[in-house]
Amino acid sequence: MLRWWATFALVIATVVPLPAQRPEVLVSAAASLADVMGTIARIYEMRTGTRVVVNTGASNTLARQIAAGAAVDLFISADEAQMGTVRDEVVANTTVDLLSNQLAVVVPADRPRTLRSVRELTDAAFRRVAIGDPAAVPAGVYAKAYLQQLGIWPAVSGKIVPTASVRLALAAVENGAADAAIVYRTDLDAAHRTSLALAIPLAEGPRIIYPAAVIRSGRNREGATRLLAWLRGTEAAGIFKGAGFIPLGQ
Amino acid sequence: MADAATRMPPQFELRFLMTQGAFTVAADLEIAARAIALFGPSGSGKTTILEVIAGLRSPKHGRITVCGRILCDTETHTNVPVRDRHVGYVPQDVLLFPHLDVRRNVTYAQPRRRHIDMPDLDQLLGLTTLMDRKVSGLSGGERQRVALARALYSGPDVLLLDEPLAAVDLARRRLILDTLVAIRDELRVPLVYVTHSPEEARAIADYAIVLDEGNVIAAGVPDDVLP
Amino acid sequence: MPTEILDIAVFTTLAALVATVVMLPPGIGLAWVLARHQFRGKAIVETLASLPLVMPPVATGLMLLWLVGRRGPVGRALAPFGIEIVFTPAAVVLAMAIMGLPLLVRTARAGFEQVTKRYEQMAETLGARPWRVFTTVTLPLASRNILAGALLGFTRALGEFGATIVVAGSIPGRTRTLAVGIYTYTETGQDARAASLLAVSVTLAFGAALIANRLARVD
Repeated sequence: MLRWWATFALVIATVVPLPAQRPEVLVSAAASLADVMGTIARIYEMRTGTRVVVNTGASNTLARQIAAGAAVDLFISADEAQMGTVRDEVVANTTVDLLSNQLAVVVPADRPRTLRSVRELTDAAFRRVAIGDPAAVPAGVYAKAYLQQLGIWPAVSGKIVPTASVRLALAAVENGAADAAIVYRTDLDAAHRTSLALAIPLAEGPRIIYPAAVIRSGRNREGATRLLAWLRGTEAAGIFKGAGFIPLGQ
Repeated sequence: MADAATRMPPQFELRFLMTQGAFTVAADLEIAARAIALFGPSGSGKTTILEVIAGLRSPKHGRITVCGRILCDTETHTNVPVRDRHVGYVPQDVLLFPHLDVRRNVTYAQPRRRHIDMPDLDQLLGLTTLMDRKVSGLSGGERQRVALARALYSGPDVLLLDEPLAAVDLARRRLILDTLVAIRDELRVPLVYVTHSPEEARAIADYAIVLDEGNVIAAGVPDDVLP
Repeated sequence: MPTEILDIAVFTTLAALVATVVMLPPGIGLAWVLARHQFRGKAIVETLASLPLVMPPVATGLMLLWLVGRRGPVGRALAPFGIEIVFTPAAVVLAMAIMGLPLLVRTARAGFEQVTKRYEQMAETLGARPWRVFTTVTLPLASRNILAGALLGFTRALGEFGATIVVAGSIPGRTRTLAVGIYTYTETGQDARAASLLAVSVTLAFGAALIANRLARVD
C-alpha cells in the first residue's frame, strides 16, 4: 500500500505546478503567430538566456484567460478589439502596434486565376466566399471591414460563408466548398491546395494591426518589457518579415 | 452459585409493534428459553420478528431484550446499531459473500470477547474440507454449515435462523438438526428458529410462538401450542 | 518518432492516468451516496454531477477558468502559496478529471445499485463498521463496474480538448496534449505533425478499447 502511494506521489509531482525556477516570459500570442513565435523564442533565448514560453490560441480565448487573471507577461493579439477587452489588465503605456499583415484572396489550386480587384468577387462565378467569422475571427473582421469600405458588402454578403477559423476558410476552398476565401497573406503557408489570386496592397486594404502589450498580472514584467523592446528591433523585424508579416517598428 | 446462573435459561423480552404499509407485526412476550421457535404460515411475520431482533428493522413502539441486554427501547430512545447487537443471523437465502472463499466468509467477523474457537466449530460443522473452496460450488447443506460457522465465529449472544433446513436435502436434514441441538446445548448459544414445520419446532425449541398475519395467536410450551 | 511527438504522447497519457486516479475517490464517493441515500437536494447534486457531460466542453473550460484563475475563489485561495493552476499541467489534469468524472459516477453508481443492500446488512450483523463494510463488501462487489467507469473516464481524459485548451492553453512542452496539439498544428498548417499526433491518438484509443474489452470478458 505504501509503495503504491509513493508512486502516486511521484507521478503527481511531475504534473503539479511548482513556481518557475528559471527566468521566463510567458507570451500569449494569436494563433496565426504560432510558427513565427517559435522561431522568435528560440533566437531570443540564444541571445539573452531568457526562456520565452508561448501560449497560442484564438485571440478571444487568450483575452478571456487574461481577464480571468492568468499570469501572462506579454499579450500579442490579432486585432485591436480583443486587446481592448483586456484594457484593464494592461500595464499603462505599454501597448504598441507591433505588426501588420496583408489581406489576400485565395482560390483553389486547380482553378488558379488572378484578380485585379476584390470587386470581382461580386461576379457570378464566385458562388461562395469563405471568411473567418466576422463576429469572432480577426481576419474575418478585417475582411468584412474591407468589403464594407469598398461598398460591395451588400452585394457579396449573401455569398459569404463565415467559418470558425481561418484554417477552416482555407479548408473550404481546398475541398471546393467555397470558390474563394479572404485570409491573411501569412496564412497561405498553411494552405496546400490553394493559390493566391490577389494580395491586397497595403495602401488600399484595411489597417490590420497586431497590438502587443505588457500584462499586469504577469510574473516577469521586466522580462516582458525587454522582450517587447527586442520584438520591435531590427533582428526581430527580419524574422517577422521572413514569415510574411509586416513589422511596424519604432 | 455460578453454576445455577449458567443453568438458568436465557431471558428474552419481545414487546413491540412494527408497521410497514398495511402490514403490522405485534408481540408482547417475556420469555425464558434456550430455543424459541417462530411458527406459522408464509407471510405471518416470522422473518420480520427476526429482522427486528437483528436491528434491520425498527419498531414504531417497543422494547427488545436479548439475554438480559436491551437492544431497543423506543421509550428511552435506545436503539443499538446492527453491528453492536451481537446477533448471528442466518437468513433464508444464507447470503454467503460471493467474492470471498469459505475461509474468508467464516472468519469475516472480528471475534469478540466470547468467541467460539475454530477447532470447536470445525468439529461441530466439519469445515476442514470446505475451507479453501469457492462459495459458488457448495451444495445447500454445505452452504448452511458455512453460514452457521460464520454466524457463530463472532461469538453471538443469540443465533437467528430463518428456515435453515429449507434448502437442505432430506437426507442431511437430520444432520443439521443435530448440529443445531449441539450448538444449543454444548456451545450454549440460544436460538430463535423460524419454521413452518411443527416437527422441527418440537425437535429444537422449548418455547414456541405461533403467528398468524402478524399477530401472536399462541405462545408457550411447544406441545401445548403447536398443531 | 520525433521526440516532440513522443513527449506529447507520454505527457498526455501520464496526465490522463493522474486524472483518472484523481477522479476515483470523489467519483466513487459520489456514486455511492447517490446510489444508497435519499436526501433533499439530491436532484440538484445529480444534475451538477452530469453537467460536464451535457455542457459544451468550452463552457466547462470557461467555468474552470473563472474558478481557478487568480481572480476566482479557488485561485485566490491558492495564490498566497505561490500555486498557480492556469497554464500548468495541473490545469490539464483538472480539465481531464472534470470531464471524465460524470462518466465514472454514472457507471459506478449502476454498479453500487446492483450490489444488494442485503450483503451490506449481513456484514453489519457480523459486527463490521461502515468503512469496513464499504471496503470489504460493497466495493469488491461493485469493482467491475467501477473499473469500467475508470476506463471510460481515462479514455475521455485522453481525448479531452475543449476545456483543456481554455484553462490550460496550448504551451508546447507544458500543456500541449495530443488533442490540443492536433488542433494547433492543423490551425497553423503543420499537417505532417498533426497527422503524427493523430496516429498516436488513434493507437492509444485502440489500445484502451482492447483493454476494456478484455476486462469485460474476464468474468
